[in-house]
Amino acid sequence: MTWYQYIWAPGIWGNPAVHTAWTAGTLVALASGTVGVFVVMRGQSFTGHALGDVGSTGAAGAFLAGVGALWGFLAAGAVTGGSIEWLGRRVRERDIATGVVMAFMLGLSALFLYLVSIYTNASNAPMAILFGSLFTVSPSLQPALLGLSIAALAILALIYRPLLFSTATPEVAQSRGIPVRLVGLAFMLALVVAAEEAALAVGAILSTALLIGPAATAARMARRPGMAVLLAAGLAVGNIWLGILLAYDSYWWPPIHTGWPVSFFVTVVSLGMYAAGGLIQRVRTTVREGGR
Amino acid sequence: MFGIVGKARWLYAASALAIASACSGCGVASPAHPPGVVNAVGAENEYANVIHQIGGRYVDVTAIMNNPNTDPHSFEASPRDARDVGLAQIVVQNGLGYDSFMTRLEQATPSTQRTVIQAGRVLHLPSEVKNPHVFYMPGAMDKVAERIAQTLEKIQPRHRAYFARRLAAFQASLVPWQRTLAKIHRQFPGAPVAVTEPVADYMLQGAGLDVKTPWSFQAAVMNSTDPSPEAAAQVRALLQHRKVKVFVYNQQAVDSTTESLLALARKSGVPVVGVYETMPAGHTYQSWMQAEASAVFEALKTGRSSLTM
Repeated sequence: MTWYQYIWAPGIWGNPAVHTAWTAGTLVALASGTVGVFVVMRGQSFTGHALGDVGSTGAAGAFLAGVGALWGFLAAGAVTGGSIEWLGRRVRERDIATGVVMAFMLGLSALFLYLVSIYTNASNAPMAILFGSLFTVSPSLQPALLGLSIAALAILALIYRPLLFSTATPEVAQSRGIPVRLVGLAFMLALVVAAEEAALAVGAILSTALLIGPAATAARMARRPGMAVLLAAGLAVGNIWLGILLAYDSYWWPPIHTGWPVSFFVTVVSLGMYAAGGLIQRVRTTVREGGR
Repeated sequence: MFGIVGKARWLYAASALAIASACSGCGVASPAHPPGVVNAVGAENEYANVIHQIGGRYVDVTAIMNNPNTDPHSFEASPRDARDVGLAQIVVQNGLGYDSFMTRLEQATPSTQRTVIQAGRVLHLPSEVKNPHVFYMPGAMDKVAERIAQTLEKIQPRHRAYFARRLAAFQASLVPWQRTLAKIHRQFPGAPVAVTEPVADYMLQGAGLDVKTPWSFQAAVMNSTDPSPEAAAQVRALLQHRKVKVFVYNQQAVDSTTESLLALARKSGVPVVGVYETMPAGHTYQSWMQAEASAVFEALKTGRSSLTM
C-alpha cells in the first residue's frame, strides 16, 4: 500500500468496467458538452433538465418491456421534446409546458418503477435509472452511443450559423428569412439525444450536471461561441474522466473496499469546474481593470 | 405459487367476508377461522411452509412474500397484508432487518393475541449480523420449527401430540439435506466457490466450501447498489482463471453486473448453480434446500450447471 494508491489506484488500465465507462463516457460528454452551450445560450436549461428526468419513465418502461434502457430513455425524450415544442410555441409558455409535461412523465415513472420492483427481478433498476452507474454500462452499447453522438454533432454542424443567429436575436433572424421554428425543432432533436445520453451515463436526475455544468463554465470563460463549444466539449470530457478516476480511487477511501458512486464524482467535478471558472473570470476582470 | 398457501388464502378470504357481513362491529383481532384453527402468517413463503408442516389442519397459513420475482429486501406491504398480520395469532419472520416491512405491519396492527417468532432471535444472533439469510443455515429451521410447535401448543394444548408428531417428522425430513451437505464436506473439503450475493452463503459454508467473493461485492448486490469496479474485477478474475469450482448466483436478484458474470462463467467453463431467495413453486422447505445442495454437489462432481429448479 503506497500513498499514491489513494489518487491512482492500481489496476485501472486492466479493468474492463473502467474501459467501457471511459469510452461510453467520452462519447456522451462530447455530445452533451457541445449541445449544452446552446442550451445555456438559449436559456433552455430547464428543458434540458426535464428531458433528463423524464428519461427515467422510458428507462423504467424499457425494463418492464425487456428492452435496452437506452431506447427507453430516447423514446421518452422524443415524446417529451415533441410535446414541449407543440405545447409551448411561445417562449413564455415554454417553461409552463415543460413543467406540466415533466410532472406527468415523472408520475408515469413512479408507476413504472413500482411495477419494475414487483414484476421483474431487476432489483437495482430504480437506483441505476435515477442515479446512473457508468461502471455497469454494457460494452455492447458503445456503437449505439457513437452513432447517437455523431448524429447530435452533425445536426449542430448543419444548423450552426442559423442556430446562432436565431439564438442571439430571434426577431431579426425571423425577418431575415431564417426558418427559426424549424431550426428550433432540429436543435430540440439534438438536445433530446444529448440529454438522454447523459441520463444513461450519470442518471436521469443528474444528467444536468453533464449537460449544463461544463457548458455554463465554458460560456463564462470563452468570448466567442465557437471557442465556447470547443471548450465545453473538452471540459465535459475532462469532467467524466476525472469523475471515473476519483470513483475508481474511492475503493481505497473509507469505508474501504466499497467505493463511492461515479455519478457523485461527476457532479462534484462539474460544480468544481463552474466555481473555478467563476474565480478565473473574476481574477481576469480585476487584472484587466487594474491595468487600465 | 404452492397449493397450500393459495388455498389457505382463498378459504381465508371467504371466511373473512363471512365474518365481515355477520358482525360488522367485531374487533380486528377476532378469530376469522373455523373454530380450532389458528391464523398464522409467514413473512416469506418458506416460513409459511414450515408453519403449515407443523400445524397441519389446525393452522390457516398466509405467506406475505411469495412472488419469486420480488426481492424481500425491497418489498412493500399492501393493505391486505396488514389485515392478514392483524388477524394472525402466530407470525413467523426472518428478522435481522431482512423483512422490516413485517415489523411495520405489526406496529400498525397491535394485537395482544399474537406471538411473533423471529428466526434471528430464535438463533440468538446479534441484530447487526451481516448476512440475514438464516433460512439457509443448516440447523436453523429445526429450532424455528420447535418454537412454532411450542407456540401452537400454547394456543391449542389439546393438539399437543399432533404438533409434536409433525415436528418430529419435519426434523427427520431435514436429514437428507444435512447428509448431502456432509457429503460435499467429505468429498470436496474447502473447495473454492464464487457467489453473487450472500443468499446461500450459510449453506455453502455449512458444506465446508470456501466463498471467495469479496464481501463488499456481495453486500453491494444484496443491497441493490453497484459494486465497485475493483471488487467486480476480483470476481471476474475468480471466474476467468477458474479459481473457483462453482459459481452460485441468486435467481431473484439479477442485474447487468451479475448477468455479465454469468456469461463469463459459461465462457470459462465454471459450472453455474442458481439459488432462490424465496421458496420456488412446487417445493417444500426441505425439498428446496435438498435440491439446491444436490445441485451444488453435482456441479462439483460432474461440472454440470443448473440454472433453475
